[in-house]
Amino acid sequence: MRRFLLVLVAAFLVAPVARASERHPSLAELEGEVMCPVCGTTLDQSSSPAAQQIKRLIAARIAAGDTKTTIKNLLVSQYGEAILAAPEHKGFGLVAWWLPIAGIVTAAALLGIGVWRWSHSREAEPPPARLDPALERRLDDELRRFEA
Amino acid sequence: MTRPARLAVQGLAVALVAGLLALLIWRVANDNNKGVGQALSDGHHPTAPAFDLKRLDGRGSIDLASIRGKKPIVLDFWASWCVPCIHESKRLEAARKNYGGKITFIGVDTKDFSGDARKWLRQNGITYPSVHDGSGAVLAKWGGLPIPRIFFIARSGKVVGELITEEDLPRYLKQIAAS
Repeated sequence: MRRFLLVLVAAFLVAPVARASERHPSLAELEGEVMCPVCGTTLDQSSSPAAQQIKRLIAARIAAGDTKTTIKNLLVSQYGEAILAAPEHKGFGLVAWWLPIAGIVTAAALLGIGVWRWSHSREAEPPPARLDPALERRLDDELRRFEA
Repeated sequence: MTRPARLAVQGLAVALVAGLLALLIWRVANDNNKGVGQALSDGHHPTAPAFDLKRLDGRGSIDLASIRGKKPIVLDFWASWCVPCIHESKRLEAARKNYGGKITFIGVDTKDFSGDARKWLRQNGITYPSVHDGSGAVLAKWGGLPIPRIFFIARSGKVVGELITEEDLPRYLKQIAAS
């Protein structure tokens, strides 16, 4: 319950930041989310003329008050989906986001089931073999004599 | 899990892995699509790959398949961020004055922002029509970066050459004009 409340509080704290980032994106964050079309890296990793040109375009759109989504949509309309460093959270792009999570959850579940089955299928430890009563008595006598 | 069910699951997993491996091998073995540039280097003259792209001047689109085979074509791949492209496109613009009636000149603005491309055309006085290949998908079929890349297509629709050295331009223009 406490953990759930912590997650809820964190979500409430993060949501306004995300909204602000959507309404007033910074050049630095978009440079990390947009690819340079000729270098195979994000814009922040490139100083090629093509990357510089897109950086200027983004800066101009930010100055004009465009939202992050508007700027990304403009870039996609010009350069295609490959201009985005990460697939969009919609349509077929969702597969790229959810498939790894589904894979991890499935693997964890299979591992858990496997461990559970393995731990329950092990045979119980056999009880320690009892000594012959005569031998046990003799052993006790020997120990008593030794301690005396 | 019963023994037959376990065997079936294991068989399925092995088949899946084998299938993915086979797909990878097939993909690597059949990765021959290096574009027109490579085909020319190998001594072949492929038919110009078709495209249908929007014109930068807003006057509809250009469908290469509909032009191919009617008139020789010079195809110029350029972008507004490409500095050497200015020089090459200006040379083609000058050549167009001599061959404009016999040869169709088409620019393909690639991996570029169309607003910048239009400005670039105005600034450099390039008047032959250009189309917008923003994603670079068409350029990839012709061999990809770097640009500028200039190809010469004969009247038959076959690509006869790519401009490698500047001095070859008059020769190629004469060749396709006579085709």
